[in-house]
Amino acid sequence: MTRPDQASPLALEMRDLVKDFAGVRALDHANLRVGRGTVHGLIGQNGAGKSTLIKLLAGIHAPDAGTIAVEGAVQSRLTPHRAEELGIHFIHQDRLLVPTFTVAESLFLGAEPRRFGLPWLNGGAMRRRAATILRETFGVDLPAGALVGELSAAQQQLVQISRALLNRPTILVFDEPTAALVRREVDSLFGVIGRLRAQGITIVYISHYLHEIGEICDAVTVMRNGADVGTVHPRTTPAADLVSMMVARDIHDMFPRRHRTAGPPVLSVTGLRAAGAFENVSLTVRRGEIVGMTGLVGSGAKDVLRCLFGLQRPDAGRIEIEGARIGGRSPSAAVAGGLALVPEDRRGHGVALSLSVRENTTIASLDRFARGPLIDRAAERSEVDRLIRDLAIKTPGREAAVRNLSGGNQQKVVLAKWLSRQSNLYLLDEPTVGVDVGAKVEIYRLIDELAGKGAGILVLSADLLELLGLCDRILVMYRGRIVHDGPAAATDSDTLLMHATGAGAVVHA
Amino acid sequence: MSSRYALVAALVAVFAFFSVATTTFLTPGNLESILVNNFALLAIVSLGMTLAIAAGGIDLSVGTAIDIASLIFVSAVAAHVAMPLAVLGGLAGGLLVGAFNAGLIAGLRITPFLATLGTLFIGQSVQQLSTSGGQPIYLITGHVPPVFAFIGHGTVLGIPFAMIVVGGCAAIFATILGRSLFGRRVEALGAQPGVAWYSGLRVSRDTAWVYLLGSLVCAIAGILLSCTVRAYVPLSGNAYLLNAIGATFLGTTFSRVGRPNVAGTLLGVLLLNIVANGLLLIGWNFYWQQVGSGVLIFLVLVVSFGGGRARSTRAA
Repeated sequence: MTRPDQASPLALEMRDLVKDFAGVRALDHANLRVGRGTVHGLIGQNGAGKSTLIKLLAGIHAPDAGTIAVEGAVQSRLTPHRAEELGIHFIHQDRLLVPTFTVAESLFLGAEPRRFGLPWLNGGAMRRRAATILRETFGVDLPAGALVGELSAAQQQLVQISRALLNRPTILVFDEPTAALVRREVDSLFGVIGRLRAQGITIVYISHYLHEIGEICDAVTVMRNGADVGTVHPRTTPAADLVSMMVARDIHDMFPRRHRTAGPPVLSVTGLRAAGAFENVSLTVRRGEIVGMTGLVGSGAKDVLRCLFGLQRPDAGRIEIEGARIGGRSPSAAVAGGLALVPEDRRGHGVALSLSVRENTTIASLDRFARGPLIDRAAERSEVDRLIRDLAIKTPGREAAVRNLSGGNQQKVVLAKWLSRQSNLYLLDEPTVGVDVGAKVEIYRLIDELAGKGAGILVLSADLLELLGLCDRILVMYRGRIVHDGPAAATDSDTLLMHATGAGAVVHA
Repeated sequence: MSSRYALVAALVAVFAFFSVATTTFLTPGNLESILVNNFALLAIVSLGMTLAIAAGGIDLSVGTAIDIASLIFVSAVAAHVAMPLAVLGGLAGGLLVGAFNAGLIAGLRITPFLATLGTLFIGQSVQQLSTSGGQPIYLITGHVPPVFAFIGHGTVLGIPFAMIVVGGCAAIFATILGRSLFGRRVEALGAQPGVAWYSGLRVSRDTAWVYLLGSLVCAIAGILLSCTVRAYVPLSGNAYLLNAIGATFLGTTFSRVGRPNVAGTLLGVLLLNIVANGLLLIGWNFYWQQVGSGVLIFLVLVVSFGGGRARSTRAA
């Protein structure tokens, strides 16, 4: 790997940083070397350690090991106040401004110009100086008397940057600054960053968007699993290479896809109807089969899933599990019938954050551990340990509160809950929403293994590539009806999208 | 020091303080009086409260269940009904209050706070209407069966009967909350009701049992109370409500994970009783005792909450 920033002296050097949170290692010997006056990109998946690294730099957390040197001087006790003294400032994605303050008041908050050195605000001077700063730095005429709440996201960001500039920063850290901006605003932000760089200010730029890194960064450091995996020239490094550095595996290997043979039907639905949501829905899921279902908001796909699990009452139709009719009256009836639901709202419906991994894992299958009215705690512990091992759940232990786990590992706990129940049919509602790429791959593998063991699986997802990669068969719903039902291998995302938006119906008609 | 033991530390501190500050606190007679006259009833009532709060609810109608049980029990005894029948009648009266709560909360899905508040109001009216505006029913000494005195003041192998009842109830509730399938479902319900429902638990049934069990222990307390004072005094049960809630929340600090638990609740009850008794002995009047209890609750919660906040900051 080349070290592009070695030519100029370092503005910032973070060495061998280690940080543990509640037994989980967030940073594992991470390094970041930023050359003075450069724009340095920082990328990595959620949970790779970017935010922790930045929080150490901001003095919000102290490192367990390692050193931070600013302009060559090692800072052993970095606090938010000390970081500010050193000229390190942060532009956050959620702009920390008071909406009812004016632009001028926001700029000078805490450092207001005073009248005659007395604690009277000099409002006129404040507004004039604010207007000058905004014009000279950004070439924009923001009304200094306007309320922050009336400004666009991009304008608010300019106010935040101006505020940082008033303090004569040496290092500016942008934490995903473009998340709330439209393309035109992104361009003007890049213009601003270019000018700041020309003034000799060092910039650390965190982003999810690889093309942005290529556009503005002189160097980029890739993080993975709490450590830096390399620092490269973004303009000469293909995006695909950056992605493989981030995930440490080829993107095509994301979907396991072993060969399976579908068995007898485990779920058959005939003529299901819920007034106002969907009509005449019939579908079958076989043992060992992964069936995908998609549809836009309001297509009824979600309502079908809710009816299957007893969360919503159908007006007509039959739902059979393994040939036995289930009423669709309540989730408890559905669960008793062998159904499992991995809900989309993980924190509201999937896991109880304050309970332990153990308690969450066995909550749907307590009967298995019953010794009379009491819980056989030894049996419970060994089952939970087995599932933590099998699913490779990353947790400090079985007694840790689920709150301390990452999103992907929380989702694995939801899967473990139903594995412990030994369910026959898994309804998965957006199973990888809010989990990072690495955990996605593991969840796909687990779903595939489940099907391999003979469970039936129905996946509801808006991610068409996910469905195409994972499923054997895909159903598309449009305005309350199933408009497409075919093998995943015989279709592509364009066709699915056409059906989902109603364009497919015209073709068939 | 773990903040878990703030409650124990407070208990030791007030015990030591009153032992030194007064000559009467550390006497067998006074200690027994704390246990039998104060601790026993509040402890029993607080067990039901602990279960309700663990389930994510609350029971403001504990006084109603106590009073209704007492009313039926004392009326039956006054009418020369056989003792076992009178006891069963009292328990059934308390359970009726629980069943009413269960219907409102599990059936009509009214939030526990409002449902049990409604029950509390209705219970007050019922008592006043049925006792000509709140007249107590006294039992004349000669007419009381001997077993009455035993329940109120008797001992088995030197242990007061009331303490045996407390021990039995506490053991059962500790097993329910800590070891049973039902207790685990209650914990899930209290932690995140959506997860309990989406995991296929029969939430309504479990919720109903929480309020039924709560009213049952209140009924037991009501019968003990009647035997101790040999009377039914309308609206006397409400005195236990705030202390039971206070003791339960004090008790959560004794749990590593900050949940309601039986051992913690009992320690909380003991702390409140010792403070009330001790302040009385050093000459504070009733109103100042409540200030003392309030300050103590603050102290224990602040010490543990402060520790808890430090923990969560490290975990952030």
